[in-house]
Amino acid sequence: MLSIVKSMALNGLNGYQIYIQVDISKGMPYFEIVGLPDTSVRESKERVKTAIKNTNIEFQSRKIIVNLAPANTKKEGSSLDLPIAIGILIASGNIKNSNISNLLKDTIFLGELSLDGTVEGINGILPICIEAKKQGIKKIILSTKNAKEASIIEGLEILPINKLKEAIEYLNGNKKIEQESKSCFLINKEQKYQFDFADVKGQENVKRALEISAAGGHNCILIGSPRIWKNNVS
Amino acid sequence: MLARRLPSILPNIQFEEALEVTKIHSVAGTLSAKNPMVLNRPFRSPHHTITPASLIGGGKMPKPGEISLAHFGVLFLDELPEFKKSTLELLRGPLEDRIVTISRSNLAITYPCNFMFIASMNPCPCGYYNCKEKECNCTTDQIKKYINKISGPLLDRIDIQIEVQSVEYKKLNSSKNIETSEQIRKRVNEARKIQLKRYEKYNIFSNSELTPQLIEEHCKIDNKSKKILELAFEKLGLSARAYSRILKVARTIADLSNSRNIEVNHLAEAIQYRSLDRKYWGS
Repeated sequence: MLSIVKSMALNGLNGYQIYIQVDISKGMPYFEIVGLPDTSVRESKERVKTAIKNTNIEFQSRKIIVNLAPANTKKEGSSLDLPIAIGILIASGNIKNSNISNLLKDTIFLGELSLDGTVEGINGILPICIEAKKQGIKKIILSTKNAKEASIIEGLEILPINKLKEAIEYLNGNKKIEQESKSCFLINKEQKYQFDFADVKGQENVKRALEISAAGGHNCILIGSPRIWKNNVS
Repeated sequence: MLARRLPSILPNIQFEEALEVTKIHSVAGTLSAKNPMVLNRPFRSPHHTITPASLIGGGKMPKPGEISLAHFGVLFLDELPEFKKSTLELLRGPLEDRIVTISRSNLAITYPCNFMFIASMNPCPCGYYNCKEKECNCTTDQIKKYINKISGPLLDRIDIQIEVQSVEYKKLNSSKNIETSEQIRKRVNEARKIQLKRYEKYNIFSNSELTPQLIEEHCKIDNKSKKILELAFEKLGLSARAYSRILKVARTIADLSNSRNIEVNHLAEAIQYRSLDRKYWGS
């Protein structure tokens, strides 16, 4: 059976959608990932296999082909573990839901898998979420470790999970995942600094220069003897 | 160290700025589940053994380098001449363009790098050239070699050059009230607010980002100031780049004193911050 699951990857700061196509057919036991995976993506084979086994689901000894479309861009990193696992479970019939195509339509999966089925956080969540929103994605299923960062962006349903099992139960329609609420970040809160200009005696001209530099974002170079620096730290 | 105290007077970060910075730090993987958003201006101070790839960004799938991690914050290079010359020269483009494009055979990635470049250095290998208290024992050649590690084009991109002189004992011992960082930061924030308001529709945040057209529009000076600038150009032999940079600094000084126009004294102060390159690099 064939299944298609969506995920996203980054090219610099720009995200693009990746379609993980999994086909399971009869034949000699075989598991291959195609679509220009680099070493870390290729290694995900072992992680996915073991994580599924340790979630108490039998990993079928069949011919499994995973294609990462668009197949002409290089894929790297471990963020595709979770969508590959989900793709395999749908294709093998372990996730069964009559509504599955509707559920997958505007959902993306992001996350690395541990051998015990734990979903780990990945890098680059924020730019991915910004791009996902632009491209009309509504739900993002990711690790609880990334949930806060993802929730900076408004208008997305962020569904954090700890274990692969939770995603399976959710897609089977047995359990719901609690949505991460939008985080409020306090910018400009007064904070304590380790060093303060009050400790520097004299040097008014240098302080003035640094003040101008800070106010307008100007570049600045300080030239002086080593002894002077030492004098300043009181 | 003076520059280490700089973070305490940096202007508050805007939400849009914080979002941009967080994006870069997210890709670089410097965020944690506990601190998922960058809420302060970054202050990066890499050691002078830094490699070109980690400064500019690089790798098979290029990751952001220190200059991008310092986006909307400070890149502080201590002991500037100790850095490899070839590494320092890499800063030329990014300092001007505020973006860096890293090209590999199969892809090109652009990262923003709008940072404040702060550097500190000794005037010579022994450190006491031009020092009042102690005699320098370096040869002219040594000094020249040391100073010349900072190339003219790189120096030209530094708006404010300042000599740090030693403090007299009287001052060290005096208990006169010294301004705290908080007081300075208040003024900095006021000046930045004026800039934010002025450049609202241009999608820039500070005077340092002004484009040539915007300089024309917002850094107008009167005839008397023009004369002074002309004189300074003749005397100091400044470049075209220095011209626009002086005007930008003068604009900031005017903003700090909450003045609508750039006055003569603002311009004069901005010019005197450019005088060091002649003193050390001129001969």
